[in-house]
Formats: sequence, structure tokens, C-alpha cells
Amino acid sequence: MIELKDIKKTYRRGAEEVHALREVNLDVSRNELLAIVGPSGAGKTTLLHMLGCLDTPTGGSVLIDGIDAARMREPDLVNVRRKKIGFIFQQFYLIPGLSVFRNVALPLIFSKTSPDPQHIRSLLRIVGLEHREEHLPSQLSGGEMQRVAIARALVNNPEVVLADEPTGNLDTDNSEKIFELLRSLAHKGLAVVMITHNNELAQRCDRVVHMKDGRII
Amino acid sequence: MGFLRLALTNLKRHRTRSLLTIVGIAASVAVLFSILSYNRGFERGLVREFQKTGIHFMVVPSGCAHEVASLVLHGAIIPKYLDLEVVARISGLDGIEIISPLLVAQLPNTQKNRVDLIYGMEMKHLRIVKPAWRVKGSVPEKDSEIIVGSEVAAHYNLKPGDMVSYPNVKTGFRVAGVLEKTDSQDDAFTYLPLSAAQQLLDKPGGATAVGVKVKDPELVGRITETLTEKVPGIQIVTMNQVMNSILNLAASAKALSLSIAFIAIFISAVGVMNSILMTVFERTNEIGMMRAVGASRADIFRMVVIETTMLTFSGGVLGIIISLAGSRLIESFVRKVMPYVPSGEILALEPGLAAGSIMFAFFIGIASSLYPAWKASKINPVEAIKG
Ligand SMILES: Nc1ncnc2c1ncn2[C@@H]1O[C@H](COP(=O)(O)OP(=O)(O)OP(=O)(O)O)[C@@H](O)[C@H]1O
Ligand SMILES: [Mg+2]
Repeated sequence: MIELKDIKKTYRRGAEEVHALREVNLDVSRNELLAIVGPSGAGKTTLLHMLGCLDTPTGGSVLIDGIDAARMREPDLVNVRRKKIGFIFQQFYLIPGLSVFRNVALPLIFSKTSPDPQHIRSLLRIVGLEHREEHLPSQLSGGEMQRVAIARALVNNPEVVLADEPTGNLDTDNSEKIFELLRSLAHKGLAVVMITHNNELAQRCDRVVHMKDGRII
Repeated sequence: MGFLRLALTNLKRHRTRSLLTIVGIAASVAVLFSILSYNRGFERGLVREFQKTGIHFMVVPSGCAHEVASLVLHGAIIPKYLDLEVVARISGLDGIEIISPLLVAQLPNTQKNRVDLIYGMEMKHLRIVKPAWRVKGSVPEKDSEIIVGSEVAAHYNLKPGDMVSYPNVKTGFRVAGVLEKTDSQDDAFTYLPLSAAQQLLDKPGGATAVGVKVKDPELVGRITETLTEKVPGIQIVTMNQVMNSILNLAASAKALSLSIAFIAIFISAVGVMNSILMTVFERTNEIGMMRAVGASRADIFRMVVIETTMLTFSGGVLGIIISLAGSRLIESFVRKVMPYVPSGEILALEPGLAAGSIMFAFFIGIASSLYPAWKASKINPVEAIKG
């Protein structure tokens, strides 16, 4: 699905160089829930952004279905993000004034497709929020907000779902629900990558990748 | 749902801020639209007023050209008088249809402790000299009958049939008619038959100006030329000259007022830019998220441009509504401050001007959105979504 080869990412902080990623190799495949764990500053988020074509590496290649995204230009990267990737964030980032339904449909504005209510309702059913269609984010609990964000990540029918600490702001019960949801997505054929600090959840993933100092260990 | 919906939602999030920005734009668009309507209405009213008057040119004593402009339209006091023989010499020319001498002067009224403005004219030419007038009562037929302007009528509490007397003439005058309000200087005059005015002012045969109507308007040029050659000490002002000089005066007032409107618009555009820039910075995270879920730089740019133009567009519409609602107020204000205003509706509230003003607000929106939109499109999603 997505293959990272010798990925390097170096940031400059004044005269000092920060090696966020050093020679990382990773395969992400369908039907798999992959956990990325590691201490803060290990490079987990940076790696996830490479997978999601949100950032370009300093060196190496990002092969998406065999095509190197590291050499792609911005418009093509936008297309990859629209069609193949679904992002989920720790802070949910729902738009306060929009209903649950419209928040889920948001990415369609950018991919210039008109929302199919049937499709959006089926996504809301998957995340268990079919009765909350017209609610505003402020009327939801944190767990529900994250489920809306998951539905939003799925609206373009992506092949890969990338979640950066999706349970980081949630209690155990809600974390559990989100985790189950992500696992079921993986087992429906998606490639799901999840960064987590929760070791218990990580151990229940199909595969765990440990990172430290910009390397997979 | 599309960009419009999204923009609307974003604007609604900061209701007060958006509203204040809209009000700012509305105020300046209202000023712009009112000024444009006023200028349009002024020019139109002026031309209409000139087309209605049957007089083609005025003969006045030389050196009084400036006063003539106002005299032609409404009464003005000219400090010099035309000789008796001037009238005779004009009537000796070919192609003249009507000669109507006017005698305009101030008359201190010691009885009432006030200065009366006296306008002597041939009452039989009233319809030609003052075609726009509407008179309550009747037009004077005798030398002892007069018309009073609405202000005079109000001041002395006069109505048709009342008697008026002046200290230096024995006989009184009967008010034949009261001039309906014209909203011009005409309202302040008392109109007497010419001979009565001459007697009252002790200027037998005198006139401050002579209005002339020619048989063939095409020949105005030739007739005025001959007149200037043959009769010394006079000056001729044609209606077109008067109209043009008023239009010229109006043009500089227009330039001044428009530049004030543009300054107001510029200031509110800066306000718009500031407010949009604030919302962009506040939404950095959200914009980062949008980029991650598939928005391109151009999408973000477009979103901000749409938001801004929605804001200024609604400001423009509100501005038009304000000026339509307040047009009466504006009209009475303009009448108070402007030295000459044609009678009739003075604001030409035209759909074309309204549409133009709204379009202008729309383009102001685009212009003031460019920088914030560019800033928004430059937001690095990787940094933005870190929180
Ligand atoms: N824009 C940047 N400029 C400079 N350094 C950066 C930038 N982004 C990340 N880094 C550095 O790269 C390293 C990896 O950061 P990253 O965000 O990937 O860590 P992480 O593993 O996600 O940590 P956490 O668990 O705290 O989220 C860190 O040392 C960080 O300081
Ligand atoms: Mg991180």
C-alpha cells in the first residue's frame, strides 16, 4: 500500500539540525492495524505525515502503489490525500458551527463532489452516531467527536487511515470504542496506522512499531 | 454544502465581529451610493429645470455675470440696473418672441422690521419664466395683485385674498396666489407685477435683467452676437452657459464628495482585512486540518476570499437599504447645505447605481481578502495541526 524507503527528515533550528527521521523503512498494508509507539520527540508524527503525503522527506522515497510521492508536486500530493488518505487527530478538529453531518461531509467540498446523504448516514452508522446527524460538535462528548472525525476521515473512501494519538484526549471507555472502530476498519480491508502512548492498546494491534530518536527499533 | 456554506458558518462564528465589519462597509457604501445618486439626480434635475424654462438667454448689466446664474434660476440681487432703452433696443431685433424684464431687489420693511425680497416680473410671462411653479389661488391679473413665496406666506401668515401693505406706497396689495413650496430660494420672494415693483422700489422703467425668448432656438447664437455688438454696457448669459457653470461647480463638489466616500471605503476595507486576518490566525489549526483532509492551497485561498466578499457584499446590500431608508433625511440635508438645488426629487435612487455600489463593495471584498487569503494558503499544515 504505502512503502517508506530510507526516509530522512531533517529540520533546521537555527544552526542546529534536528533529525526527526533517520533512514526509516516501513511497509503499511491493507487489513492491518499498525501501532506506532515511542517516547515524545521520537518522530512518530513526522513519520505519519510522510505516510499521509502531508510533508515531504529530506531524503528517501514514499511509494504509494509503486509511485514515489517524495518526487510529486503539491497538486498531485493534494490528490493523493483526497483519494487515498484519511487523517484523524488527537484534537478532533471539528468545525464548531457545522452539524455532525456537515462535518463529516467537509472533505467533499475540497474534492468537489456533492455529498451523498446515504453514504454519509452509512458512515455515521458505522461510528454509531446515526442519531446525532444534526447535532453540533458542542453538543457531543469527546468520544463522540472523535467518532465524527473518523467518519470524516472515511468520507472519501480512503485506502489508508492515519490516526495521531486518536485516544489521547479520551477516557478508557471511549478509547476502547475508538480502538475497536479502528480495528474493525482495518479488518474491513483498510490500512490503519495509529500513533499511541497507550501500551495496552498498542499490544492489541496487529503490529507494533517502536520508534526512538528518529529510528524504528 | 459548498464553499458558500462553509464561509457563512465561519462568519457566523464571530457574529459580533462580522456584524461590525458589515456595518462599517454598509456605512461607506451608503455614503457612496447617496453621493452617486445625488450627483445623478442633481444633473438630471438641473437639465430638466433648464429644459422647462422658456427663456433662452438673459441680458444683464455688464459685470454681473456671477449673479446672473442664480438670478436665472431663482431670485438674486443684482446691484446694477439696465437702462430703459436696452429693452427697447432688444425688442427692435428680429427673431425675438418674448422680452420679459425682471426687477429683483431688497426692500427694507421698517414696519415689520425685516428685509423683503421683491421680484418684479411680467405676470403674463409667468408660465414661461417659471414653468415649474404651482400656485395656490390665482395668478395676478391686476397691478395690485401679488404672489408670495411659501416662506413669506408662512412668515406673515398670508393666504390668497389677504392684503399686504408697504410703507412707501399708499395702496395695498392683494395676495392673489401663494407659491407652493419649491425648496429653493423662490420660496423667500414676493412676486409683484413689474410696474408695481418699479413703483415700489422707485425705479420707474428699471430692470435688473431681461429674459429673452427667441422664435427659433437655433438662432440664439446669432441674436446674442448682434445684441452684444449693438448695445453697450450689457452682458448676455445664455441658459446653456448658466447650466454649464452650475454643472462645473457641481463637478468639483462631486470630486470632493466622492473622494471622501472613497476614503471611507478604504478605511472600512482595512477593517475588513484586519477582521479576516484575525479569523485566519484563529483558525490556523482548522486550516491545517482542512489541508490534511484534502484542501489545496487554492481551496484555502478561495475559502477566505469567499468569506470576505460575502461580508462586504452583505455590507453593500445593507448600505443600499440604509440609504434608501434615509433618502428623505439625506435630501433635506443636501437642500440645507447646497446653495443651489433643482426642485423635485434630488436623489436619483437608480437600480443601476445601487447594483454598481454593491459590485464595488464586492470588489473591495476581493481586494481586501487577497492578503489574508494568501496568508491562509501559506499556513503549513504540518505545523498547524500540531496544535
Ligand atoms: N517544524 C519543526 N521544526 C523543527 N523541529 C521539528 C519540527 N517538527 C518536529 N520537529 C522535531 O522533530 C522531532 C520529532 O517530532 P515529532 O513531532 O515527530 O515527535 P513525536 O514522536 O510525534 O512526539 P510526541 O509523542 O510528543 O507527539 C522532535 O525533536 C521535534 O522537536
Ligand atoms: Mg506527535
